[in-house]
Amino acid sequence: MDHEKLLKKMLQNDPVRNAGATRRDVLKGIGAGALALGASAGVMAPGLSSAARELRLLTWDGYVDPRVLDGYTEASGTAIKYELHTSDPDSVNKLRAGETKIWDIINLNNPWARQIMWPENLIVELERGRFEPYFDKMLPMFKPPYKWSMSLDNEHLLGVCQRVDTFDFVVNTDVISQSTGKKEGWDLFNNADMSGRYGILAYDNWNIMHMCMGAGLHPFKTKTDDQVAKFEETARRWINGAKLISDDFVAINLALINGEIDAYISGGTYSVSAARLDGISNLYHVVPESGPADGKGGINWIELNSVVNNPDLHPEAFDWLEYILQPETSYWVATAGGFLLPVGQMSQPELISKFSKEELNSFQWDEFDYRISHAVEYDVVPDYNRLYDIYTAALREKS
Amino acid sequence: MATRPARPTTVAALAGWFREPGVLTATPILIFFLIGFVGPLVIVLGFSFLPERTFGFHGDWTVENYLQIFSESYYISFVWSFGFAAVTVVCNLLIAYPIAYGLAKVFGRWAAPFTLILVMPLFVSENVRLFGWMLFLLKGGGILAGSMEFLFGVETGTLLYASGSTLLGLIYVYLPFTLFPIVLGLSMVPKDQVDAAGDLGANRWQIFREIELPIAMPGILIGGLLTFVLAVGAIAEAKLLGGQNVIVIAHAIQHEFTYAQNWPLGSALAVLTIVITGVLVLFAMRRLDLDMLLGRR
Repeated sequence: MDHEKLLKKMLQNDPVRNAGATRRDVLKGIGAGALALGASAGVMAPGLSSAARELRLLTWDGYVDPRVLDGYTEASGTAIKYELHTSDPDSVNKLRAGETKIWDIINLNNPWARQIMWPENLIVELERGRFEPYFDKMLPMFKPPYKWSMSLDNEHLLGVCQRVDTFDFVVNTDVISQSTGKKEGWDLFNNADMSGRYGILAYDNWNIMHMCMGAGLHPFKTKTDDQVAKFEETARRWINGAKLISDDFVAINLALINGEIDAYISGGTYSVSAARLDGISNLYHVVPESGPADGKGGINWIELNSVVNNPDLHPEAFDWLEYILQPETSYWVATAGGFLLPVGQMSQPELISKFSKEELNSFQWDEFDYRISHAVEYDVVPDYNRLYDIYTAALREKS
Repeated sequence: MATRPARPTTVAALAGWFREPGVLTATPILIFFLIGFVGPLVIVLGFSFLPERTFGFHGDWTVENYLQIFSESYYISFVWSFGFAAVTVVCNLLIAYPIAYGLAKVFGRWAAPFTLILVMPLFVSENVRLFGWMLFLLKGGGILAGSMEFLFGVETGTLLYASGSTLLGLIYVYLPFTLFPIVLGLSMVPKDQVDAAGDLGANRWQIFREIELPIAMPGILIGGLLTFVLAVGAIAEAKLLGGQNVIVIAHAIQHEFTYAQNWPLGSALAVLTIVITGVLVLFAMRRLDLDMLLGRR
């Protein structure tokens, strides 16, 4: 047929074909690619001396600010490689799956070191004489031996603390006042009038803890079947009543600023400090005055930096921990990535003097003591798998 | 008595085959393909038959994950994903065909700059482009709402966080993937044939139905398939523009691999998605004559 002849003619005249690489070029490319692949595999080869390789961090975002990384590399000459967590349990499972051979430092929220990683031999202990003096210089809540940095038998120091705050919910104070938020607490979202007026910041594990709070349950205590049913009822009601659910706090803050929503569940200074520093001070992190967790409604998280039980541990792993505790580095960590958070070293005058009034206001520093005193410390949720399955089913079935 | 020549054994035939220069030179690529592409799929398939929340290949094989998928509400996510993908393909075909016709037949020397304009968004990250749409559609400070209020005093409310905005994102993101194969298909329609049909009295509709469409069909099918497969696996549109009011299948899989830490269930969901997509694609491919498309006959 005519059009078939034309097609053949077009293909014969295809300029792309004629201008393309020759077979020799392709083979050269493959050879170069193979060499590059071999070279990159060599970086991770276990036989390579630990001193010759880079220091490897499995961490939350605060410790990978260019100022933090470059500061260390300039001082020590050691390059740093890092990977950011998806969630605490995800990274713990990476270590369980054999990645202790890869990482030198792991930075997680408080319960994982003493309850999971140390009992499962995934991390090593720190020298108390070397690191406890740093705890002496921290905020009073960290006075050594600080519970979350110690093993369950209180014998072994498992990590050093730095970033710390609470994470509960956020309101637009132009619509919901600070005092209303604090007084109402989680019942704010149980109120039918709020349906369609709030969002959920989809940090799933936090959502589950907060839904427990909303259901009047202690998130960190084992639940009966009746309590699980209560959780399910609250989870479905909150999810169905949410106008939007997003795992991007910028998107959810934007919705709050633009009046799409008036509040969101699972938020804190971590999610609003950057916006507040930009002058949007009507975005406000609320810790309820009371709640079902030993009378408290807030949840207090503490990040703990530990050394991985790597058979080929980098010799500078412990030096890194000391480095991040210095006042200059602590300031960089506290202001990493443009969003600001308190750190345990805030009691040191040489550190707090580095913060401007606006920076302190961005993470509501004036209320820090209130927040901590009205919050229960973050812990492992005992029924997590069961509750998470309910939570995801509620999301799928959202009406 | 004459002896019959011995038939070559399978092993000997294979050995002979492996001595062929073509096979020898293709072997490194084949190995690379097996390790890099087939290997991960085999691992995912293997994980899907492991007990829930297992992180290594230990434990008894089970079909429990598949039973769980069929007994719980995962079908909702499948329906949303495949539904979104199907509607995206239909909308994109309707939008892309006239544009493709213009690029292939009408715009002449302006086709190249026009193509560049259409391709340029692909250089920007999908998330950034979707965030741009979010800023456009937002209620208070959004470009659309603000402009409507300023120009006409009309309050539009929000257009975000609904299935319609997810669909808008899918149509926008995957339009180029539908468009360019159709351009290729339409550029293969010989002008002489169209002219001849016209001279013989065919009207515009007959030319479209009996000449252009059949010749361009391989391009249309490829564009549709490409868009369908990509849209089935899409996640960002439902998350950013749809406000997660719908959980698409890629998101359900993500849940299992991250916060749930249930790799076997996530793998089973992934396997089912691949199987359903594969069956649909194979069905469509049966209608696609690649030899004809590539001018081999």
